[in-house]
Amino acid sequence: MQGGNPKARRRIRRALLVAIGLLYIVSIPWYRTSGAQPELWLGLPDWGAVAVLCYGAAALLNAAAWLLADVSDDDGGGS
Amino acid sequence: MSTGTLGVAALLVYLLALVVVASVARRARLDRTPSDHFLAARHLGVFVLFLTLYATAYSGNSLLGYPGEGYRRGFSWLMATGMMMSIVVVFHALVPRLRPLAVRHGFVTPGDYLRLRYAGQRHAPALRRAVGLLMAVALGNFLLAQLVAMGLVANEFTDGRVPYALGVIGLAAMILFYETLGGMRAVAWTDAAQGLLMLVGLAILLGWLLAEQGGIGEVTRQVAAVRPDAVAVPDAREKANWVSTVLLLGLASVVYPQAIQRVYAAESADALKRSMALMTFMPLATTLVVTLIGIAAIPRLGHLGAIEADSVMPRLLTEWAASGPAAAGVATLVFLGALAAIMSTADSVLLSLGSVVATDLFDRERNDPETTRFGKRIAAAGMAVAVVLALVPALRETLWRLIELKMELLIQCVPAFLMGLHWKRLRAGPLLAGLVVGTCFAAGFSLSGASRLAGVHVGVIGLAINAAVCAGLMWIGRDDGREPASATLDS
Repeated sequence: MQGGNPKARRRIRRALLVAIGLLYIVSIPWYRTSGAQPELWLGLPDWGAVAVLCYGAAALLNAAAWLLADVSDDDGGGS
Repeated sequence: MSTGTLGVAALLVYLLALVVVASVARRARLDRTPSDHFLAARHLGVFVLFLTLYATAYSGNSLLGYPGEGYRRGFSWLMATGMMMSIVVVFHALVPRLRPLAVRHGFVTPGDYLRLRYAGQRHAPALRRAVGLLMAVALGNFLLAQLVAMGLVANEFTDGRVPYALGVIGLAAMILFYETLGGMRAVAWTDAAQGLLMLVGLAILLGWLLAEQGGIGEVTRQVAAVRPDAVAVPDAREKANWVSTVLLLGLASVVYPQAIQRVYAAESADALKRSMALMTFMPLATTLVVTLIGIAAIPRLGHLGAIEADSVMPRLLTEWAASGPAAAGVATLVFLGALAAIMSTADSVLLSLGSVVATDLFDRERNDPETTRFGKRIAAAGMAVAVVLALVPALRETLWRLIELKMELLIQCVPAFLMGLHWKRLRAGPLLAGLVVGTCFAAGFSLSGASRLAGVHVGVIGLAINAAVCAGLMWIGRDDGREPASATLDS
């Protein structure tokens, strides 16, 4: 994933990192009333299943962000 | 053959294999320099680098502490998966800028970066020593947690034939032996094998548990029946703690000396990137699995005390092994995987401890073979102290609390690295002031027994104060041109 325009790659990587941040926010059950008994979803409490799905998606995006990262062995590289 | 005898036999075979690896690693060394001993001459390729990063990051804490915490807290401990993944996310802020500098200037320890970044500034030596001291204390604490975990696992693994104290002392001696003999090469190669063992072992254990209890849905129903709080939506304090835990681990772990040294030790930038891309999936394959194992233990094991909960996984394995000869064989492999994971973290910590103390605290020349010998002696002394502490029951906390304590100190080093890499005019003086204030705050509250305020770790609050003090002093002294700004961000 090192081909293509470096600027476009950097923009995509930044967008991926922002998306990961959003997934982290959604993974915490702010949207549910504390102490409520949940429904079962994918075998887990519904809020737990949302957290797991968020982390699964974050892993995919983060892997892509690493492959797009501009890490260099020459001084002066890196973003 | 009984489970305990099988355990002792497997343990002996495993220890013998470690001796062989150490001998081969010693023969593979290129010279006696610290770079060769502590960084394997910077020749770690994707496969070994990934597995050594994995085995180092996932340790006794993951194998014992995290299931214990899952057992204690229930499904809210799913936060641990996000917490471990956040480490690989935060590395985006560190690796792309640190790696080229490390290659060009031949860094061996984290302090080498600080030496270059704040060169010529009056408070730079004090900052480097303060960071080195915090790192050494955190590493010592981390080592202690691994030794406690090693003793527990060896004892359970052998059905009591290896007492806790013998497990701690004997395995500590083995780590010291192969680390001293083979350095980073031995550590990375054993990490690779240990990481694979752990991964396979955990997957098999979770599969057994779920099959036994009728699948994940049935496990959740059983947990809800005996501990409704473990399934209910977390309260506000627990949600705040979720954020705080992700921040604490994500930020503090990127300044783990052993993690930074693996950034230095990578064969190439490409190998490093690919390893990081692979590492991002490991929380799903490991942390999520051990969390579910801890939760699945709630209906199986009844009520356990806070410290006892750290032995949830060994207890489950013992129970599994008793169900038949095939299960006993596989359970033995899982136990070995757990022990391997713990030892692989302990050896990495020990290796870093020696190098950080020798070069960052005592200012030894980083290319001198004498520094390698001095680092080995420091590692031996550190191991001896940690062994003694691990044998004092009164000093034992839960494994998770030991991790938190370490992180609360380590996180205070974050501004020196992350802010230093991204803020060109940042100076050592304000950083040092922030570090001292943040550390006093976090350590003061921790020692007084208050580890969290409204669910937020005192270390995270200390970091906020630390960064605020640093930024405030930078703003007050914004026209102060007496100290040179860093040239490393331009070059």
